[in-house]
Amino acid sequence: MTVRHTADVARTATEPTRCVDGLPLRHLDVLPEATLERIHAATLRVLDRTGIEVRSDAMIRRLAAAGAQGDIEAGRVTFPPALVEEALALAPHALLLAGRHPGCDLELDGTHGYLSVDGNAAEILDLATGERRPSTKADLAQISRVADALPQIGFLWQGVAARDTPLASQPLHELQAQYANTTKHVQLMTAALPDQARGAVEIATIVAGGEAELRARPVLSSFQTSLSPLTYDGPPLEAAAIYAEAGVPAGFVAMPISCATAPATRAAALVQSNAEILAGIVALELLVPGAPTFYGACGTVMDLRTGAASCGGPEDLLFQMAGAQLARRYCLPSNIGTFATGAKSPDWQAGVENGLSIVASWLGGADMLCGAGLLYGARVYSIAELLLDAEIFSLVRSMTEGVADADEDLALEVIEAVGPGGHYLAQPHTLRHMREQWQPRFFGRDAWEDWESAGRPQPPDRARERAIAILAEHRPTPLQDGAEDAILGVIETYERHTEGAA
Amino acid sequence: MDERIAALREALYALDGPGAVALTRELIDGGVGPQEVLQQGLAEAMLEIGRRWNAGDVFLPEVVAAAEIFKQCNDIVEPALIEAGGQTLGHTVLMATVKGDLHDLGKNMVGAMLKTAGFRVHDLGKDVATEAIVEAVREMEPTIVGLSSLLTTTVPEQRGVIEALEAAGLRGAVKVMVGGAPVTEDWAAQIGADGYAPNAPEAVKLALRLAGSERPEM
Repeated sequence: MTVRHTADVARTATEPTRCVDGLPLRHLDVLPEATLERIHAATLRVLDRTGIEVRSDAMIRRLAAAGAQGDIEAGRVTFPPALVEEALALAPHALLLAGRHPGCDLELDGTHGYLSVDGNAAEILDLATGERRPSTKADLAQISRVADALPQIGFLWQGVAARDTPLASQPLHELQAQYANTTKHVQLMTAALPDQARGAVEIATIVAGGEAELRARPVLSSFQTSLSPLTYDGPPLEAAAIYAEAGVPAGFVAMPISCATAPATRAAALVQSNAEILAGIVALELLVPGAPTFYGACGTVMDLRTGAASCGGPEDLLFQMAGAQLARRYCLPSNIGTFATGAKSPDWQAGVENGLSIVASWLGGADMLCGAGLLYGARVYSIAELLLDAEIFSLVRSMTEGVADADEDLALEVIEAVGPGGHYLAQPHTLRHMREQWQPRFFGRDAWEDWESAGRPQPPDRARERAIAILAEHRPTPLQDGAEDAILGVIETYERHTEGAA
Repeated sequence: MDERIAALREALYALDGPGAVALTRELIDGGVGPQEVLQQGLAEAMLEIGRRWNAGDVFLPEVVAAAEIFKQCNDIVEPALIEAGGQTLGHTVLMATVKGDLHDLGKNMVGAMLKTAGFRVHDLGKDVATEAIVEAVREMEPTIVGLSSLLTTTVPEQRGVIEALEAAGLRGAVKVMVGGAPVTEDWAAQIGADGYAPNAPEAVKLALRLAGSERPEM
């Protein structure tokens, strides 16, 4: 197993209580070495010959000044292979995604994979009525609070959009709702404008307790997405540089859809996806050398009949494994689109897609698995689905722990003592180890009669009940005194600023 | 109350067999009433373990382990109890896996869980001949006899036991409950059993119903 070297991480003197469970990673290379290298070589050729469109003259000038080939008239930037290799060598191989509480810290060093809350749906299944409706800031606060209580959730994307807040300051409202409701790391996916990035950094600085503190323990990370095929808008690249300059990890995620925004064949889709991600990372390293960044792949295919993104299928599973393998090829932390079933309810389709999907990401060696709670191809959020996805994660995590083989595990004396025909029920060995067994919360293992008398509940019913209980009981550690007001102050300043500009 | 009785209960919760046995012996030898040791110590501890099981804090292997310790302690208490003319635990349940069937895990679980509800459980074992069951019913006069079988090939033996009890004129004196993977409510009705339970906790509810002593705390 490749273990990337850990970055200079600020460690606390005493090991804090962990509030997050990670997947111990093992790697299965879905791409043979020769295929991997053909994809790499093809990517370098695309970056060199075709390049990317950058929709900002100023950004093209900045990148050209830093060594890339810029053509303002064509709106293109190309990257010679040597420059790509040089820039990639500047990126750190490991990242710390810090929590407000050190027990929630995630060290992305290739040894563990962590699950996020998925995002950024525009609608939510109302927990009370079960109906689909537009999402609000209060919904995001609730999702964050439930996620805070789940050890399976490592970090948070913005589950739903805070659609009842002003569009320009929406990401800042989302950050506020999340930091107030979780001590875990927040990864901001919605702040793609420079002003939004500045505001987000200001908020994260308040939460971390200062600029140096944020740099040492980044409680915020971010990413920008390419516009497939092969395009970046100017402001997201500028925003990425603003994050990176503050020490906030700034990743790049490609979300190509084969047959629509990417070529039909698997290899070509991987080449284009790789080119988009590497272009973002190379651009960032040219702008901010040594910037903390990551490799994000979230590829899917177009449904040939409806034209929608399929979100779940064999191609997605291959893209996940191959994406994680490519990230390992470049020694970069990976962020792999994992759950987000195409199903409209937490049903058979959701279970099959998400169950297979997490195994694919695990086998690929994904550092970040994104994420839990989405239905309908990432368009609708469900808190019940969040809990069900967390249960799938915990099941797979238990499997990934493997088989220990110490004397106590082989238990020869116990086998001898019980002998043929006996039973292990009351053996001290059983009592010592039985709690290591995975315990389901939502899988139905009750007797048929009990199930009938309970009104034939399905796993989503139990999950919904559990979500309501968590919301009633769980109180996350509040922000430090004065932080809430300071954050609201930042939001107000940015809102006045955008109003003034408009 | 003797604080050693509380310590005895704690020993059962901790599944400390040697400790529980030593305390029981010390109490009985020290002249503490066997009734008190049984009711307030051992039986109360099993009831509490049953409550913890219901709350999801305790698992089946722990109940079975506690029941085994209970049996060791009860073997010390019972002679003293009979000598003192005191009352043993209320209802007796006779448990058996029927002839030809070597699967006794389910029956053991049911036996252990029944002890958490205050039943006196007498276990005849596995592969028990029909005549032996009838004989035991005649001798021990249990309130309930529980018949277990895991195989579709041995399930008919349950009917055989009921018929043999009828032939011996004992059927009216005892309730029969049946269980095991192939057993269903329909089968139980078909062979004239008094009840069927799909698992150990349900068997406890059934036994309480058959004994006519629903316990509100269970």
